[in-house]
Amino acid sequence: MNNLERAYSTSNVETVEDTKFNIKSFEKSFYSKTSMYAFFATIFLVFTMWIGTGQFAKIDLMLAGYMIASFVFVIGLIVRVAAWLVRPATKQLVKTSIQNLKSGNRSKRNVKSIVITLIENIFLQKFIFKRGIYRGIQHWLIAWGCIGSFAFTFGLVFGWVHFRLIDATTYQIMVFNIPMISMHANGFFAAIMYNILNITALMVLVGVIMALVRRLHNNDLKVTERAEFDVLPLYILLAVTVTGLFLTVSYKFLGGFIHPELALIHQITVVLFLIYFPFGKLFHLPIRPLAIGVPMNYQEEHMVDTRSCKKCGTKYSSDDQISDVKAILHEQQFDLQLEDGSYLADYCPSCRRRIRAMSQLNLGSVKGNPYGPVQTNNGIHIPGFGRKRSDEFYNKEEK
Amino acid sequence: MTQFLAKEGVKNLHREGEKLITTHCCYCGMQCGMHIRLNEKTGKVVGVEPRYDWPVTLGKMCPKGVTAYQTVDHEERITTPLIKKNGQFVKASWDEALDLIEKNFKELQSKHGKDALSVYGGVSMTNEKCYLVGKYARVGLGTRFVDYNGRFCMSSAAGGFMKTLGTDRGSTLPWTELEHTDCFFISGWNAAECLPTSIQWLWKARDKGAKMIVADPRETQIARLADVHLDLKSGTDSALANGMLHIIIRDGYVDEEYVNERCNNYDELKELVKTFTPEYTSQLTGVSVEKIEKAATIYGKSPRSVVMFCRGIEQQRKGVDNVCTYTSMALLRGQIGKFASGVSTVTGQGNGQGGREHGQKADALPGYRKIADPEHVKYVAGVWGIQPEEMPKAGVSAFEMFDEIQNGNIRAMHVMCSNPAVSAPNTEYVWDSFRKLDFMVVSDFFMSETAEFADVILPATTWAEDEGTTTNLEGRVIRIRKVKDPIGESKTDWEIMKAIAERMGKGSFFPYENVPQIWEEFRLASKGGKADYYGITYDRIDKEDGVFWPCPSEDHPGTPTMFKEKFDTPNGKANLATVAWQEPAEVPSANYPHTLTTGRVVFHYLSGTQTRRVKFLMEQCPLPYAELHPELASQYNLVNGDKIKLTTPRSSMVLDVRLTKAIRNDHVFVPYHWGKELSVNQLTNPALDPTSRMPEIKVCAVKIEKA
Amino acid sequence: MNKIMYLEFERCIGCRSCQAACRECGGHDAKERNYVEYVDFFESRQTYPMLCMQCKDPACARVCPANAIQITEDGVVLSAMEEKCIGCRNCTFGCPFGIPKFDFEENKMYKCDMCYDRTQHDIAPMCASVCPSDAIRFIDFDEMQALRRRRTQMNLIEGKKPTEQDKWQYVPEFFGVYSD
Repeated sequence: MNNLERAYSTSNVETVEDTKFNIKSFEKSFYSKTSMYAFFATIFLVFTMWIGTGQFAKIDLMLAGYMIASFVFVIGLIVRVAAWLVRPATKQLVKTSIQNLKSGNRSKRNVKSIVITLIENIFLQKFIFKRGIYRGIQHWLIAWGCIGSFAFTFGLVFGWVHFRLIDATTYQIMVFNIPMISMHANGFFAAIMYNILNITALMVLVGVIMALVRRLHNNDLKVTERAEFDVLPLYILLAVTVTGLFLTVSYKFLGGFIHPELALIHQITVVLFLIYFPFGKLFHLPIRPLAIGVPMNYQEEHMVDTRSCKKCGTKYSSDDQISDVKAILHEQQFDLQLEDGSYLADYCPSCRRRIRAMSQLNLGSVKGNPYGPVQTNNGIHIPGFGRKRSDEFYNKEEK
Repeated sequence: MTQFLAKEGVKNLHREGEKLITTHCCYCGMQCGMHIRLNEKTGKVVGVEPRYDWPVTLGKMCPKGVTAYQTVDHEERITTPLIKKNGQFVKASWDEALDLIEKNFKELQSKHGKDALSVYGGVSMTNEKCYLVGKYARVGLGTRFVDYNGRFCMSSAAGGFMKTLGTDRGSTLPWTELEHTDCFFISGWNAAECLPTSIQWLWKARDKGAKMIVADPRETQIARLADVHLDLKSGTDSALANGMLHIIIRDGYVDEEYVNERCNNYDELKELVKTFTPEYTSQLTGVSVEKIEKAATIYGKSPRSVVMFCRGIEQQRKGVDNVCTYTSMALLRGQIGKFASGVSTVTGQGNGQGGREHGQKADALPGYRKIADPEHVKYVAGVWGIQPEEMPKAGVSAFEMFDEIQNGNIRAMHVMCSNPAVSAPNTEYVWDSFRKLDFMVVSDFFMSETAEFADVILPATTWAEDEGTTTNLEGRVIRIRKVKDPIGESKTDWEIMKAIAERMGKGSFFPYENVPQIWEEFRLASKGGKADYYGITYDRIDKEDGVFWPCPSEDHPGTPTMFKEKFDTPNGKANLATVAWQEPAEVPSANYPHTLTTGRVVFHYLSGTQTRRVKFLMEQCPLPYAELHPELASQYNLVNGDKIKLTTPRSSMVLDVRLTKAIRNDHVFVPYHWGKELSVNQLTNPALDPTSRMPEIKVCAVKIEKA
Repeated sequence: MNKIMYLEFERCIGCRSCQAACRECGGHDAKERNYVEYVDFFESRQTYPMLCMQCKDPACARVCPANAIQITEDGVVLSAMEEKCIGCRNCTFGCPFGIPKFDFEENKMYKCDMCYDRTQHDIAPMCASVCPSDAIRFIDFDEMQALRRRRTQMNLIEGKKPTEQDKWQYVPEFFGVYSD
């Protein structure tokens, strides 16, 4: 029985190792992990295109430039995300998040965290409104303008979505070549659908102008502003939206005036935008969902701390978070352990400041008892002054 | 608006669209140099920038200084005249307000005589304004009742210095020399909280090896780092100083040559201090014999030393005596009039030095002239263009004015730049006096506790909306620059005084169009007096980073170090003090077993009218508290944060408890910056010093109860 | 930048000017980023100022999952980039000195940036400019070295000789914000 069990388990282990080995060797046929992911992503994209366009039957060649840029965009994103996931801190958060997602007894907390974060943090962006209504409106317009444009453009480009004319007055939306909603060609909903890019473009335009105005007027912002990082993306977005809107103006009101030229310019700006996206400030968009991990892993209740400081007892964090922080620090060879075996992360920020100051002042706590009373006069109190006249100078006997 | 911007060649952060205007802080006597940042487009004050090139403070500022600019465009500023109707203040025009003042002032004067009016000034104003207060009262209103809040601040030091040295200049040496001294003897001065930027000079000296002796019932920040902390009982300073003198004489530390040549009364002093043996001193002061011996030895052996003191020793009914004995310590060691040594008091108010020299005082005229001296009256009357006979006689001191109100002699009062409803002792008596007044005018830019009693409030300006000069605690005359135009309908104090004088038919004596005209007249008025400003001009101040008075002519370099050759007494010799022991007016008794002392915290200034309206400062210190030793607290079963009820023979109040071992175990300390029921001055003792008329705010007996 | 911030706690008088001044700095949004605290008010009035050490290898940046904490060319460790920060507060727990502050409402971490607008022009930061006791100084690297040597010497003059076990108590820790 025992032997059998052992044999079973051994074989089991071997199989696991086998698969692992297989993955490893498979990985080795690529230049790096990242390039492997990039390859699969490309394959996946082509596959979805193949489905969406009915075996490449409905490819719109007018959009070829977009298509190529989109591939660059996706590969760039993957490279960046992979590079980012390699960081110990990121890895730890993702690891803990996945563990928690899997664990059944946390499912209620998981769902709650995801829903609340998605609504408050990502959809409503409440925290930016807290920084100022102006900033909130500005960011919300840019964010959802961009995301909306993205969704629609990518859908069209990769053929995930297209419109089918059912009869003279009815269009049907096809998602992955599956018929979805049908609508009246001259109806209100259809009007929105035709103009969806114009609407999102207008949102972005307003938001970007607000952002530029803010950057022009606020001197305090200029302190840490870097033109290529903070301002360039705004100009790129501006270029994309302005040229895009001009296209509409051109064929709707100017009878197609220099339409092909405009289309080309627009295409160029979008290509620039897509290539820039993974490498600049806008990259914060795809990593934002990580914020779900914060309530999911660290805060059972929003903004409520549960772990007590080892010294003063103030609540300052949660056990899960501190163990994660310790693990991250440990992996990067940060030695923040004290004499008594506790770690600096076990103390609240205020106690950590005090520990620092007291060791500098030679006012460490009573030897052997880190929780003993604070000594403020220990005989080796160094005055922070340049020179001290020795008391002998004033010694009475010298008179 | 102003021509002078930040000095060339000094590294400062110049922001786009902003102008830096060089001026000084509005608060204490340190008068820290600062630049005010003004937005050129909106004309609003937006911030502060250090003034690294100002030699006295080198860009340093305390939290009050850093946030001082926030009071200028503050939302609670009074911007129009207010008239009280049925107990409510109603906005009014200047004409309405002045009409009402004219009517009441004239009526009261015709009914009760000229002296029915009174003026209560302050010294957080420029020299020009302080000078004008005296002239406004005596010429504009024609009353003899004029005095100022310096009675609660500087007057003991003034009296003591006049008595011993002949002239009262707060510091006999420029403070930039302090770093070269060998020993500080500091008494009753919580330097770190009251004048934080002075600390740099103390610390610099310590970097060079200077010793520091601090006498204070509390272990203040400087006492903590002192070589000897003399933890004396409040109100025993003259005993401590006599004890020090005893050891200095006993151990032969006296500079005999200096004393023989330059001092009177040496033999009497020797005779008097004989009884003040270390043991006797220790018994009176509560300081151990060992500490007294050590302090005296260090002080006696230091080649250069500075004796410094402040309100702790001055706000006592023997404040003048305390100043005299401490000054005698410096005299016996032959320190006054030499490099990096001397004696210094510390002015608490911005222009405490300048403001007390120029005739705001009941018995004084510009340039430290005396109203009792017919020659002095003749000279000043000449400058003012009145007949000497028209000059009113001397009035009474600030606190005694409230007695005059109670007696029905004073029927109306004009309070300027002051908040006696908080800063005077025994405030309930003061409040009652205000209520008894027939008519009361207050000029202020915030609704102070005093202003609430007024019938008419006139909107004054902050320091940043007017120009002028002040005299800092060294005796250095410096310039305050106009940063921006007054907000709303507010007017500067000199414009207000001028307007009222015009209504009283004395307009011809106040023909000023601008501040420099007042300055010119004031220079002339001080000419030939002890505090002679005649040689000081605005240009010289700019060029020379301030000029020290006395400066009798334009080619005179000013006087950074006082008394180099002789003292200003009649025979040119300093008068050593012969002060017998006298107890404080109130000593602990069975009913009131402990001692209450008051003071400042670093976050607030005087009565707090300005600082209590600044967000940062209020976050740091929103309420007064009672500081006491855990040993005392345990006798009443008190722990940190408990409520405590303090009772003195005058009144009682409830406060939070803060425990610390850094205070004597028989003392309670309460900061005084709050008004109404939070004002500790409800409890303090108004016993007056016979010379300076300074109340004994620093010592009284108190009863503790758990509330 | 060849200047460093040098702190000497003993000189601190607890006036909190540095905190008031910190609020005046450009981009600080009227919130101070430094600390002044009592060691133990019950025992004495000793206070100490505390601000970011601008570590060369900052733990706060290392524990940030969003890679939001950046270091400038001059070596100044900046506040978390607002767009990247996901609000986990790891930085406040990773920092050995308890420096970063976190605003839950605005989802924003902020910490001392050495008054970047001033120091890049070689002008002292606001806190060091106003500190009346020189507890916070903005000085040359060499001057800092001299000050540290003097402190060590002072300990020896006071008659307390370090032993192998407590040598660290006598040689002050490196204590400055510096970059070369």
